[in-house]
Amino acid sequence: MLALIPPAFIGWMVRDGRRAPAPAAAAAAQPRPSGAEADKTLLALFEGDLGGAKVKDKVGLYDEKGLFDYIDGAAPIFIERHYRKLAAAEMASAGGDDMVCDVYDMAEPANAEAIFNAEKSATAKPVADFPDAISGPMSFVFRSGRYYVKLTAFDKKAEAALPGLAKALKGKMK
Amino acid sequence: MSSNGPPGPYDQVPEARVSKSSHTTATAPSDAAGVDRRAALRVGVTAAMAVGSVALGFGLRERSGSKKTRDLPTLKDHRAEKPAGANDMAIVRGPDPAANVRRAVEALGGMGRFVKRGERVVIKPNIGWNRTPEQAANTNPDVVAEVVRLVVAAGASKVWLTDASVNTPEQCFARSGIEKAAKAAGATVIRPDASAFREVNVSGKLLHTGDVLFPFVEADRVINVPIVKQHGLSLASMALKNWYGVLGGQRVKLHQNIHLSIIDLAAMVKPTLTILDATRILTANGPTGGSLADVKQMDTIAAGSDEVALDAFGATLLGLNPNDVGFIVEGMKAGLGTPQWHNLKTVELGG
Repeated sequence: MLALIPPAFIGWMVRDGRRAPAPAAAAAAQPRPSGAEADKTLLALFEGDLGGAKVKDKVGLYDEKGLFDYIDGAAPIFIERHYRKLAAAEMASAGGDDMVCDVYDMAEPANAEAIFNAEKSATAKPVADFPDAISGPMSFVFRSGRYYVKLTAFDKKAEAALPGLAKALKGKMK
Repeated sequence: MSSNGPPGPYDQVPEARVSKSSHTTATAPSDAAGVDRRAALRVGVTAAMAVGSVALGFGLRERSGSKKTRDLPTLKDHRAEKPAGANDMAIVRGPDPAANVRRAVEALGGMGRFVKRGERVVIKPNIGWNRTPEQAANTNPDVVAEVVRLVVAAGASKVWLTDASVNTPEQCFARSGIEKAAKAAGATVIRPDASAFREVNVSGKLLHTGDVLFPFVEADRVINVPIVKQHGLSLASMALKNWYGVLGGQRVKLHQNIHLSIIDLAAMVKPTLTILDATRILTANGPTGGSLADVKQMDTIAAGSDEVALDAFGATLLGLNPNDVGFIVEGMKAGLGTPQWHNLKTVELGG
């Protein structure tokens, strides 16, 4: 019997129910993009100038179920904060050094702020001239609008390239 | 440490959020959408959970029924008998990870206690992540290589080394440094491609069958070599949790009741020996990590056959009370060991 619940009805609830809290006025003034539009915008962040960095292979998109296959048991803290989708790619700096770029679309700025605060390492340092960003050895993390971004390096040369990539990404998020 | 409060020991992923599809996601806090929509959402989520539960139950029955689980292989009991007077557990501290492994195994009676000449052995590190050794998301490669050397020296006829990586296996096996180190030490490294899995009986409370990396089906002995790290959902990932890496397929289903899933898999494998790597531990943002700000150098190895005891010890390194870690409590209830590692015959060396 329960299986007869129309999938369209569930789909309607999902589309509307999973959204994060947002001021009513803002919600009315700025209609939310559809999932496909949001995906397109998310993927577009990886195109064009990225501070000299390049995507090595392809950009992976992970929905809620797929997130476990990328970050395993770290997924729930994103899902609980109304995560929408992750775009992740292995990248090479201008010098050819490997980096990983994870851009989480958290659907709303408040959700991005929540996960930024939740994951902030006690010993990570704020970044001068880059609000809402922290860096630790081999890591650069920031939030901008609805996005939460984690950049990871594997050696010192790649680590030095992380701020440039971060600035380029943030510029595209305006 | 992460500033978000850790989940309680039995907190689970809300089934509606992860188990079916994105169609049953969040019960959003009060928002501009209004009461009617929230009420509809609650009804919808409840209904969808019910649908999902029915579907899940049907799926499990069908899976076990259609495959005639009695015809599927069941993993051997890989445990070795404990010689009279032997130590149960060894904890070694020192700056050289390989030396720590050697001293720990020696304190337990040597690798010959666990591996006999001619036996086939599979070694299971954590190679889940596209991370370097310094980032402490995978087992330290020097630790793994030393385990391989000891097993080879004990006369094993075959030494497999494998893990079902979470990130792309090629990246994980290379970036971790484990593939290169293990091959140099004499192991046959099995990457988890589709042909590497065999369906077996899990016969657990939650997991009935599963696709397992073939060395675990064929091996006479199994050696677990996990790293100690914080884990966002289960609080910690150490010995018992490391068995997630024997399974193929989507991982989301394993997180519906993470503690019992962990125990189902641990009860299935019954390893011969566990060598817990706490050379570097990941103290926050696990299991993935990435920032060295979350890594702590501990220069410690613990070894033994009681995974619950080893995990209880490992939990203390993360600042956790073992009694707060659900899978440790469940492991004890399931008879897999004791969290009272102080009460075992334990030797501590170095440091």
